[in-house]
Amino acid sequence: MAIGAFVALVGFSRSFEHEWARLYSSSGTDIAVVDKTFLNTSVSESIGVRLRTVPVVAQAEPMIFNIMDLTPDVNALVFGWLDDSYEFDALTFLSGGRFHNGKPEIMLGDMLAGNLNKRVGDSLELQGSAFTVTGIFHGGTALEAGAVIMPLDQLQQLSSLQGKVSGFHVRLRPAPEGEAQDHYLERARAQIEAALPGLNAQLASERASNNQFVALAHAVAWGTSSIALMMGILGIANTMAMSVFERTREIGILRALGWNRWSVMLLIQVEAVVLGVVGGFLGIGFGWGALRLLSTLPQTASIVSASLSPLHLIEALGIAVLSGLVAGALPAWRGAHLSPVEALHHE
Amino acid sequence: MNSPQLEVRNLRKSYDDGRIEALRGVSLSIAAGEFVTISGPSGSGKSTLLQLLGGLDTPTSGEVLFQNAALGTAIGLDSYRAHQVGFIFQAFYLLPTLRAIENVQVPMLAVEVVSRDRAQRAKALLLEMGLEHRLYQYPNELSAGERQRVAIARALANHPSILLADEPTGNLDSVNSARIMEMLIGIQKKRGMTLIVVTHENDIANSAPRHIRIRDGLVVDPGEGGHEA
Repeated sequence: MAIGAFVALVGFSRSFEHEWARLYSSSGTDIAVVDKTFLNTSVSESIGVRLRTVPVVAQAEPMIFNIMDLTPDVNALVFGWLDDSYEFDALTFLSGGRFHNGKPEIMLGDMLAGNLNKRVGDSLELQGSAFTVTGIFHGGTALEAGAVIMPLDQLQQLSSLQGKVSGFHVRLRPAPEGEAQDHYLERARAQIEAALPGLNAQLASERASNNQFVALAHAVAWGTSSIALMMGILGIANTMAMSVFERTREIGILRALGWNRWSVMLLIQVEAVVLGVVGGFLGIGFGWGALRLLSTLPQTASIVSASLSPLHLIEALGIAVLSGLVAGALPAWRGAHLSPVEALHHE
Repeated sequence: MNSPQLEVRNLRKSYDDGRIEALRGVSLSIAAGEFVTISGPSGSGKSTLLQLLGGLDTPTSGEVLFQNAALGTAIGLDSYRAHQVGFIFQAFYLLPTLRAIENVQVPMLAVEVVSRDRAQRAKALLLEMGLEHRLYQYPNELSAGERQRVAIARALANHPSILLADEPTGNLDSVNSARIMEMLIGIQKKRGMTLIVVTHENDIANSAPRHIRIRDGLVVDPGEGGHEA
């Protein structure tokens, strides 16, 4: 169960991060400009003017993102964009088209529209206000497929953020010939931060991994998994301690037959690791099933994709092996240090 | 008398913070290839002596020497048990989850015999014990006599020089008892091993050329031809 929790929760948080990275990548965003505080919730919309004067900046789009309850069962990421944002480039309209600034209009990702059974021209109520669906789109990521996109000014009103935005998404001018992309990105970041003191220019890849939603998801996933793993280790340790106790006489027999302490310790440790690995495989199956389930539920489908990276599976198995070793250590030591005579006479 | 293979000097063993004294200064020597029985009443210390001779336990004071080297200091107990000693117990002590042929291989794992040799050697030993039809049976599928024969095969697995048997016929009927003792004596003669049998049965005790009597933790008779060291 502990490995299952690790696979499901950490898999969920990494999948969430991966989707954010794809979101930036598909829209062509190179850098996100946000506030420097940890919970970088908002910056002034007016800094966009200065941002666009920075030489390396080709386009800078103000944006807001939030999570809203659309129905008691369905919540979704909600993005606020200007109606001429370059970020529309990553979307394909399946029906209808863009919203217009200043109007109570919204666009729905295709998965969300399906879940809500909404079509172009239908009305959807958000925070007590009615909005008309102007378009159904398909995006490159699960985040977009389950998202609402609406005019920036409308989301500012709904979020009580008039004059504020979550940040700016920036497309840079092409790197000068001969300059490596990584070097150019670092130079652009430094240039933007120098021009806008107090703000943080984050590379899109960094932003994908440390925006507050992803950071929170990672923290919850690792925190919960760690607790579950500790419980799992205690469970294996208890099982092995019981096993050593019940097999005290067998250990005495092995010692009488010439097995040394290390051999007995190795035997018990191997059993503990096998127990951990078998549990690990079952946990991976359980976690994989949980992720698949989450990716189909309306409440979570927009932020979860049912994909597990090979690295994540290797990590899970590594943790299972380590858990077995840690859990088996004390029972193995105790078993190996039993007196052969006392062990043989154990009832 | 041949040079002593085993020698114990002023051996003492106490339990319960010295309140119980199982052995109170035993000294004797046993030559290589001897067949010796040790008898005495319950609680006399005969099994404790056997455990100390086999390196299963350490004395409270005194020492056990194997070929003039002290056990536990000059010779490691694990290595001594693995290479020089074969144990046979009253309760057989076979591992219940292993088949007969696998039980015989268990001591070989302590001395890193390769897998194919292990199986061949175990099979040969079980055939020698007349168990050719019981190789793949689990202990609970064997009779008491058959279990003890598997235990004897296991004791011989690493070609020990000393065979230690603690009441080897204690759980057997008279027919099987006689058969087991016959086998042990035959093995001792054929292989030239030292055989030490702890018993409370007079017939068995008297069947050996040397019979050591022990009472209240002391040797009261080191046996004909034997001597206290």
